[in-house]
Amino acid sequence: MTPLEQIIFLLKAVPITLAISFLSFLLGLGLGILFAFMRIYGSTPLRYFSDSYEKFFRSVPVLAVMLLLYFGVGPYIQIFKDPFFTSVISLGIVSGANQSQIFRSAIGSVGRSQMLAAISLGLTELKAMRYVILPQALFLAVPGLGSEIALLIKDSAYSFIIGVIELMKHTDILRASQRSLVLPYIASAIIYVAMTFPLATYLDKWGSRKKKELGL
Amino acid sequence: MWFLLDYSMFLINGFLITVEVTLIGVGLGLILGILAALGDIYGGKIIKIIVNVYVEFFRGSPLIVQLFIFYFTVPYITGLRMDVMMTAILTLALNSGAYQKGYLKGAMEAVFKDQLMAAISLGLPMWKIFLYVVVPQALRIVIPAWSNELASMGKSTTALIVIGVREFLNTGISITAQTFRPLETYAFITIVYFIWIYSMLKALDMLYNRIKIPGLEPVI
Amino acid sequence: MTTILECRELTKVYGKVVAVNNVSLGIDRGETKVIFGPSGSGKSTLLRCLGLLEKPTKGTILFNGTDVYASRQDLNKLRARIGFVFQDPSLFRHLTAIGNVMLGLKHVLGLSDNEARRKAYEALKLVRMEDWANYYPSQLSGGQQQRVGIARAIAMDPEVVLFDEPTAALDVELKWEVITVMKDLAERGTTMLVATHELRFAREVADEMIFMDQGQIIEIGSPDHFFTSPNTERAKKFMAKILG
Ligand SMILES: Nc1ncnc2c1ncn2[C@@H]1O[C@H](COP(=O)(O)OP(=O)(O)O)[C@@H](O)[C@H]1O
Ligand SMILES: [Mg+2]
Repeated sequence: MTPLEQIIFLLKAVPITLAISFLSFLLGLGLGILFAFMRIYGSTPLRYFSDSYEKFFRSVPVLAVMLLLYFGVGPYIQIFKDPFFTSVISLGIVSGANQSQIFRSAIGSVGRSQMLAAISLGLTELKAMRYVILPQALFLAVPGLGSEIALLIKDSAYSFIIGVIELMKHTDILRASQRSLVLPYIASAIIYVAMTFPLATYLDKWGSRKKKELGL
Repeated sequence: MWFLLDYSMFLINGFLITVEVTLIGVGLGLILGILAALGDIYGGKIIKIIVNVYVEFFRGSPLIVQLFIFYFTVPYITGLRMDVMMTAILTLALNSGAYQKGYLKGAMEAVFKDQLMAAISLGLPMWKIFLYVVVPQALRIVIPAWSNELASMGKSTTALIVIGVREFLNTGISITAQTFRPLETYAFITIVYFIWIYSMLKALDMLYNRIKIPGLEPVI
Repeated sequence: MTTILECRELTKVYGKVVAVNNVSLGIDRGETKVIFGPSGSGKSTLLRCLGLLEKPTKGTILFNGTDVYASRQDLNKLRARIGFVFQDPSLFRHLTAIGNVMLGLKHVLGLSDNEARRKAYEALKLVRMEDWANYYPSQLSGGQQQRVGIARAIAMDPEVVLFDEPTAALDVELKWEVITVMKDLAERGTTMLVATHELRFAREVADEMIFMDQGQIIEIGSPDHFFTSPNTERAKKFMAKILG
């Protein structure tokens, strides 16, 4: 293969890498919002559960979770026989713990006083949450969520270890088939940076601007 | 899970390697992070560009790619061979340094110039200013970031299996290959990671709470 | 009378800016002198040079009659004998009020912890901050922080204290508490050189006022002189602007 063909071969794997990252992000988003709410508004057992979930999955390596689910749980549960879904789910539940924390701190910085103000207008706590707190909290969460997607794009590389055919796997195939030790890795690294860099920088700037606009 | 007892020495060895590369990686990363932060604050244009390319590269790409690059590409280009442990530690240090540069820069800028001037006006020599004014403040700003960094480096060391380092997760892979009991083995491994990383976080958190001071919050 | 701190033909240049241009002045024991003038006129720079925080480009600085830079004295020893109060309080943020005052006593003068604490407490009393001894800077108002800054300087028993617009960064209501403390000090015979726009303070306590503009001393005189009939047009205009 010519260098150009090699690069095209790498780029062909990008959609899979993005699919893993995006789906696991969505799973993490759902879990994150759920656990953040449980932690703030849940009954004592729910709060305790949410807290333990956050602590546990923020303290374990995602690769260990992947191997556990794929090799350990896979034989018993159908979905974990599939490496693609296994990696999406592993990344998603770990990301859920991160995102729960992102949302908790975003909701926290909107502040108790706005909640009180909304309730004093006669809004129920749920409505105050829906119309006052959440819209602002979402803005505040954007930079954190941006770096979370970037993190997932990078961590999706672990799925190559359980056999998902994504960017890292294509890189490895090139090394083996082309006996080339330079281009595949450098090109692949640059592709990863190109995917993560805009997320981290652009969203961060956007977020701080929004934050100022909201006066928070 | 009792079959794991037969492998206890093996597991302990792997765990110690994981702890070792984490601590050395973060320690060397601290030095690299300080240099990078100094370069970004005081350096000329070219140094600033070099620092930022370094940081974006290591923060923007997966650790696995970085490990492959230092395992395959760099020796191929330079002709320098390193053993696997050295490769692992070098890569982790460079990776950690890129992340640590961010908050170190903030911490350095936070011990303000005006306090330095005030300390000088009292007649304190430079080393005492460093010891009694700069370090106590920088430490308090930096500890929470360190605990993040230690936890995330601890988790990232699992990537070392791709270049064959016999760290903790890798011992699990070997045990599974011999015992065909992946569920118990990986569950055990995962729980040990949790206990280790969680207690590191807790310990640093307690340390921080003991020495924290109102008005001197971390910059991150 | 003994001149404690003196500069002769002092010039300080930053790049192309001549911040202080050929200034000579001395402060005698027990005297209170006030420097005033538009912002950018070189007051801070002059004070920093006199406080040995910056080296002049040209000219000499004499401390108790000895040329500081020619005699190769230990600058830190001299700095300990010259107090400095900054425009921003510049308190050490990791130390309580009393901790801020004790730092120099312990690590420069070498007092024991107990002695330093007793002395620091006395200094805090002088600035009426003894009730706040164990608070951190972030828990104090700007005026309170500034008073701690003054205590930190005077606790060292300096032979002269230099004040660089200590009330400029404060709200109007907070200015008076700092000014009151400075008046107390002046009345106790502390040797002080104060850069300030608080002309009423100057009128009450200054032995001499110095008007600076564009890095130079334009006019020197008593408060009465400046309040009734300054010689120069620039001083007249400036007085009128400040007094409103
Ligand atoms: N560290 C410095 N570097 C460069 N220029 C300075 C510095 N400090 C002061 N200057 C310049 O010197 C002049 C005098 O400033 P300053 O002494 O602060 O005046 P004042 O205290 O009367 O307002 C100003 O033009 C200022 O911009
Ligand atoms: Mg000034």
